[in-house]
Amino acid sequence: MRLLIVEDDLEASEAMVRGLADAGHACVTAPDGEAGLKAAHAGRFDVMVVDRMMPKMDGVAMVESLRQDGDQTPVLFLSALGEIGHRVEGLKAGGDDYLVKPYAFAELIARVEALARRRETGSVQTHLRVGDLEMDLIGREVRRQGQEIDLQPREFQLLEFLMRHAGQSVTRTMLLERVWEYHFDPQTNVIDVHISRLRSKIDKGFDRPMLQTVRGAGYRLDA
Amino acid sequence: MRLPRLVRTTPFRLTMLFQMFFAAGAIAFLGYIYIATAGEAARNADAEITREARSLETVYRHGGFTALNEAVIERASSTRPFLYLVMSRTGAPVSGSVGASPIPDPPDDHVWASFRLTETDADGMPVKRPARGLEERLPGGELLFVGADVGEAQSYVVKILNALWGAAALVLVLGVGGGLFVSRDVSRNMNALNEVINAAQLGDLAARAKVRGTGDELDDLAAGLNDMLERLERSIAGLRHAGDAIAHDLRSPLTRLRARMEAALIEAEAGRGDAVQALRQALDDADGVLRTFGAVLAIARLEAAASAPDQTQFDPAALAADVAELYEPLCEDKGLEFDAELAAGLTVRGNREFIAQALANLLDNAVKYTPAGGAVMLRVRRRSSGEVEISVTDTGPGVPEDKRERVVERFVRLENSRNEPGAGLGLSLVAAVARAHGGRLELDEGPGMLDGKGPGLRVALVLPAE
Repeated sequence: MRLLIVEDDLEASEAMVRGLADAGHACVTAPDGEAGLKAAHAGRFDVMVVDRMMPKMDGVAMVESLRQDGDQTPVLFLSALGEIGHRVEGLKAGGDDYLVKPYAFAELIARVEALARRRETGSVQTHLRVGDLEMDLIGREVRRQGQEIDLQPREFQLLEFLMRHAGQSVTRTMLLERVWEYHFDPQTNVIDVHISRLRSKIDKGFDRPMLQTVRGAGYRLDA
Repeated sequence: MRLPRLVRTTPFRLTMLFQMFFAAGAIAFLGYIYIATAGEAARNADAEITREARSLETVYRHGGFTALNEAVIERASSTRPFLYLVMSRTGAPVSGSVGASPIPDPPDDHVWASFRLTETDADGMPVKRPARGLEERLPGGELLFVGADVGEAQSYVVKILNALWGAAALVLVLGVGGGLFVSRDVSRNMNALNEVINAAQLGDLAARAKVRGTGDELDDLAAGLNDMLERLERSIAGLRHAGDAIAHDLRSPLTRLRARMEAALIEAEAGRGDAVQALRQALDDADGVLRTFGAVLAIARLEAAASAPDQTQFDPAALAADVAELYEPLCEDKGLEFDAELAAGLTVRGNREFIAQALANLLDNAVKYTPAGGAVMLRVRRRSSGEVEISVTDTGPGVPEDKRERVVERFVRLENSRNEPGAGLGLSLVAAVARAHGGRLELDEGPGMLDGKGPGLRVALVLPAE
């Protein structure tokens, strides 16, 4: 994937590039909003990672300007400002996701990959399939190897999110934000309990487990 | 040229403006009084003269010219305040108290005239006095003149006029003086307010304006200023306190982290120990510090804000059901019975995210501290006071009554909870959320001792009635 990193803290930027390159992504960096805007116009990127507060042109202004020019490249905002109001402001300006500093690297990579994936599946789907697991979004039915699996509404949403990001790591925070729509950090591992329930429903009795735990990151649904 | 300060004040200008209107009013009033009194005096004199003339005419009609002459001679020598003159058809004087009519041309019917009467005063000096007179032709063709000295009435009008002018002058003096006095009084109060503002600008937020209890707008202004300073002072004190707290709270975990890394480095340099394991441990420690930092910051922000941001109206039962759904499997996994009693149809106003987080913290604690086989109960209800209560009751060891206030403080953890994870910020955050919504946090005993367990804890987030 080609990524554009717009970040004024050069050390942070360098660390990010190193980590993302390790994960197999090619990165272009820009030190401020103006340079970022130029770089965005000059090249094609799969995802842009934009710091919110920068000299010359801040991240929000840069993304607003991009969106006005019709550039729909997914944007992940990075910010030290974590209040709900800030998050809403960032998303209104045209950001697609919002990650509060400091963050775990696994979190950044998982979110960048999720954003790139979201772009690929643009059309509205009524049916999801991962390996032998099928989900009917209209009939609200889930089958594995043709065998119907009974899920609670929240379990259904959880599985839907995992299926839409099949093959990718998704973090606990991402699940909490996207499935439960909470932006706080519970002290205990509530998400793990929900995952283990879901796992017992979709993997128990089948020869191959699909729902994997990714150490230090979160979970991944494999075909 | 600059006017004196007092004269430039708003109250003085207002007083002067008012004075101008008052003076205009006074002049109109005086004019009216003059016209009314002077006219009235003249009308009175004319009426008196007419009555006297009618009475003489009656005498003439009954007794003829002779009787009239007699009556006039008699009246002229009495103390009546009239001047009389009876004249022949040609205007020659016959009898009376004046030698000649002051009216040069004898009228065909009757005529009024104002004239001056020359008299000698006590010192023998001639004085001219204003007079009015009526001359009329009698039915027999003779002429009758009746006049009166109106000097008395006119001097009365003049007296009234002088009195009015004096009063006007007095009003003006009192007005200007009063204006100066009022402006000095208002200025003094304004200066007191300005001094407080200046002190605040120089950083002394403890200064307060004096509220005199008069209930006027200056008092309102002083009270408003005091209120503003109070809030400002509290907010700044809150921020300062939060800053101190963060510095204090983060120093110990950072010191721990540093010590651990240093030990790992020494071991690694000596070729001993597991560097990867040490880094992993350090990363976990750093995450812990960051989590603590986030929690402390969130609490500090809530405490510094007058009220929680982004408030909306929502159904507390729906929010509780949502959070309960998140925690129910956790209870089940730990062998706890979970029950929820959620009253429908309530609304509260608040920040959904903060209240959800507060409730999550309460459930977190309940699950953490209740031993297997116990129960956790979530309840949303309206109290008889109208307040909305969101409470979590557990059957864990509870918190002794004398420690209930302390566990709400930041970083306070009871002895028996040391081996559970957490930084001791959960309840502090709930308390901060409650306060930021104008509510409070209540800690009580749970259901009591049962099978040697308990007595349990009931923690209630109480939000004010809408």
